[in-house]
Amino acid sequence: MRIGSLGLVRGLVGYFAGLIVGMAVVVILRLALGMSAWDQEAVWVGGLISAIIGFLLGVGAMSDWLKWTRGIETPLHHGPPAGKPAWTRYFGVDYNHKVIGIQYGVTGLFLLVVGGSFALVFRTELADTGISFLQPGTYNTFLSMHAWVALASILLGVGGIANYLVPLMIGAEDMAFPRLNAFAYWINVPAIVTLLISMLFGWDSGWTAYPPLSLLGPVGYQMVFLAIFTIGLSSILGSLNLIVTMLMMRPKGMTLFRMPILCWAILATSIIQLTATQLIGQAFLMLSFERSLGMPFFKPIYDAAGVNIGGQPILFQHLFWFYSHPAVYVFVLPGLGVISELLPVFARKPLFGYRWVALSSLAIALVGFLVWGHHMFTSGYQPYLRVVFMISTLLVAVPTGVKFFSWLGTLWGGRLIFPTPMLFTLGAISVFLIGGLSGPILATAATDLFLHDTYFVVGHFHATIFGGFVFPFFAAIYYWYPKITGRMYNETLGKLHFWLMTPGFWLMSLAQMTAGTMGMRRRIADYDPALGVQNVQLLVTIAGFVIAFSILIMIYNLFTSAEIGVLAGNNPWRSRSPEWQIPSPVPEHSYARPISIVGEPYDYGLAGSSYVAMAGAGDD
Amino acid sequence: MLKLPQSYSDRKHFLIVGALVAIVTVALGFFLLAILPIKAQASMQAEPIKWLFQLHLWLIAFLFALVVVFMLYALFVFRRRKNDDSEGEHFEGNTALEVIWTVVPLVLVVIFSFIGLRTLQDATSGGDEVQVKAEGFQWSWAFSYPNGVTSAEMVLPVNKPALITLQARDVIHSFWVAEWGPKQDLVPGMTTSLHITPTKVGEFQLKCAELCGLSHWSMAATVRVVPEEEYTAWMDAKLAEQNLQTASR
Repeated sequence: MRIGSLGLVRGLVGYFAGLIVGMAVVVILRLALGMSAWDQEAVWVGGLISAIIGFLLGVGAMSDWLKWTRGIETPLHHGPPAGKPAWTRYFGVDYNHKVIGIQYGVTGLFLLVVGGSFALVFRTELADTGISFLQPGTYNTFLSMHAWVALASILLGVGGIANYLVPLMIGAEDMAFPRLNAFAYWINVPAIVTLLISMLFGWDSGWTAYPPLSLLGPVGYQMVFLAIFTIGLSSILGSLNLIVTMLMMRPKGMTLFRMPILCWAILATSIIQLTATQLIGQAFLMLSFERSLGMPFFKPIYDAAGVNIGGQPILFQHLFWFYSHPAVYVFVLPGLGVISELLPVFARKPLFGYRWVALSSLAIALVGFLVWGHHMFTSGYQPYLRVVFMISTLLVAVPTGVKFFSWLGTLWGGRLIFPTPMLFTLGAISVFLIGGLSGPILATAATDLFLHDTYFVVGHFHATIFGGFVFPFFAAIYYWYPKITGRMYNETLGKLHFWLMTPGFWLMSLAQMTAGTMGMRRRIADYDPALGVQNVQLLVTIAGFVIAFSILIMIYNLFTSAEIGVLAGNNPWRSRSPEWQIPSPVPEHSYARPISIVGEPYDYGLAGSSYVAMAGAGDD
Repeated sequence: MLKLPQSYSDRKHFLIVGALVAIVTVALGFFLLAILPIKAQASMQAEPIKWLFQLHLWLIAFLFALVVVFMLYALFVFRRRKNDDSEGEHFEGNTALEVIWTVVPLVLVVIFSFIGLRTLQDATSGGDEVQVKAEGFQWSWAFSYPNGVTSAEMVLPVNKPALITLQARDVIHSFWVAEWGPKQDLVPGMTTSLHITPTKVGEFQLKCAELCGLSHWSMAATVRVVPEEEYTAWMDAKLAEQNLQTASR
């Protein structure tokens, strides 16, 4: 087999070919228009847009569509590519949602490691006062990259959960639009390459990229804007596909309120992604135009009389947070869905208040659209807006509370067992509780005026995102691992992972919050010894390394168990969900025959009840 | 050894959990107060912030205890025993409970909105007996007083309401003296302001709290709060010094 036959390799070749062609075209155009040949903003932006298209052409994510324009029909191909080993399908365009789900999940995990490593680099620097090896400029780049790489990893991880599980859970053959699904995954890859290239040039604003700062620095900013715009496009296309799949492709008998609860969470998440992502795309596009074409959207410009005839910096913050706050719910709603999905299985009990849990996801998504201004209490907008956003933000606590109490109701009276996925589910609840409860203190504007931009906020959102996404993601990986690979992970290593990571994370969160109340600001390359936070900072660094080490244990576990793990069988967890009623690993065509739904999803303990009816061979 | 009831609906469970929640709330409340020592306490505007912060900590202690004690208790009492292959109790929910734990938090939200509003007013209002303009730029600060005096450090008299007007010359910065409590961004093209009535004499550090580029971490200035006589003396000396410079030019 030739290496060039891998889609990924062809894509990367296409990327760099596209880059060179695009840059050359811009230079030639500039010369033709009588401008100087080299303007790094224009040349890089032109080159990178062309590079991303080059990647998509190279990998073949648009091949079928291009053929359609020429009237050529392209039937869906099933199974690994002809004449190549089975693993190669993961490195090229494949339309099977299970392959795409794995592609999303593994890329997400890879980026989690990369983004986490960036954090370890600057955590090492922050372990003590004084600047030792990371100069402030590099520090700022690492800090900013940590954020966007980690956020990209979460978006891809969410995509992994959704793409792999939604069609399986609703008994569908595949997603509604398989080609769009593959396109939405592959467009992430050149975006990630672009994002990583930005590191070579540096950028120093943090992920928020507030202008005017983001209009000044190096050309790395343009790469970030383009990368995030492209990842945003993937979010929009992917969520559209998921919504259509869930609304149109459910089997007979599966009303909306009989969907597995995770589907509700994904539905709520997809609604946010479909409708809010445009705003950050727009905001970053405007920054890019302002940088490369000088259009004054955000930076004030004064005429001779001193009147501002330019832009307004705060406008950007509204656009940015209109997406970036709901984005937090994009990250956590699927995770909370995983918690709700797993608890009944390990408690052997119905999910307490199914409808309330389902609707609370929608409520969080909808209220989430109205709270963005709480990131801007100190921004200088009209002071009365603080009151509006304080009240709307506090309201988020209500549907979130419903989830916590329903989880307790689910545990109460169960027959609880504690394999690794259950441990991570419980760990997720504990960590998300820390994140959730430290929220209202930031929502009441007065306290936020002190806490804003301190390590308290850092502690709060890491707890929210770890409790709401990372812990549940790991729970999901361990839980569905036997369904994906057909083999069990190593339970001892799984438990070791949990018992290192969870106390490590509790310690990290609390230490970060302590540092914040003691006056430690966010995003600083060095801190004043007079603050007295050295010990706390050292604790955060040590905890960070413990968490990182535990994640390496998981990755080792996942790799080795795929070869040597015990065969899992169809349904090791005795779940009622459709995906556990078919063989592990899931066959190419998941369901040999259509399923129908004949009961409630979580009626554990109700004698004689069933959820899924598999049509027998002679039933048709 | 305490014999725990086996039935999930036995009232004894809830008595035990209730008692544990009360104990844990108190212990956790004091623990949080100890590990989260809020630094804001040297201005009139810091007081409501600190008060509300600590009120929050007690609420957090209670809610954390409520969820975690219930959870740990359930994990212990309802764990599967050896050789027990039965399923859990079958109940699918309880509408009355769901309504209660929707309405009670809603009431709490209303209460905290009201408290939050009052506290916000107290933390952001004050007089303007002393006025000073602070300008932020990459990566330092400059101060000027209405009488034309300029300075690289900010000096304020203790217990006098001060109005600090804020302007940014290049990018967004944020004015924050941790001991004083609130912070406020400086935005190019706008003038923002902050009311501070310092209540403690001493030397503090003003630090930029909004990432503003390369040397953001070191963008600081000294802030001195002094008795009123000392402030007047400092101002007179500055006036004399700067008038002298103007005259001799």
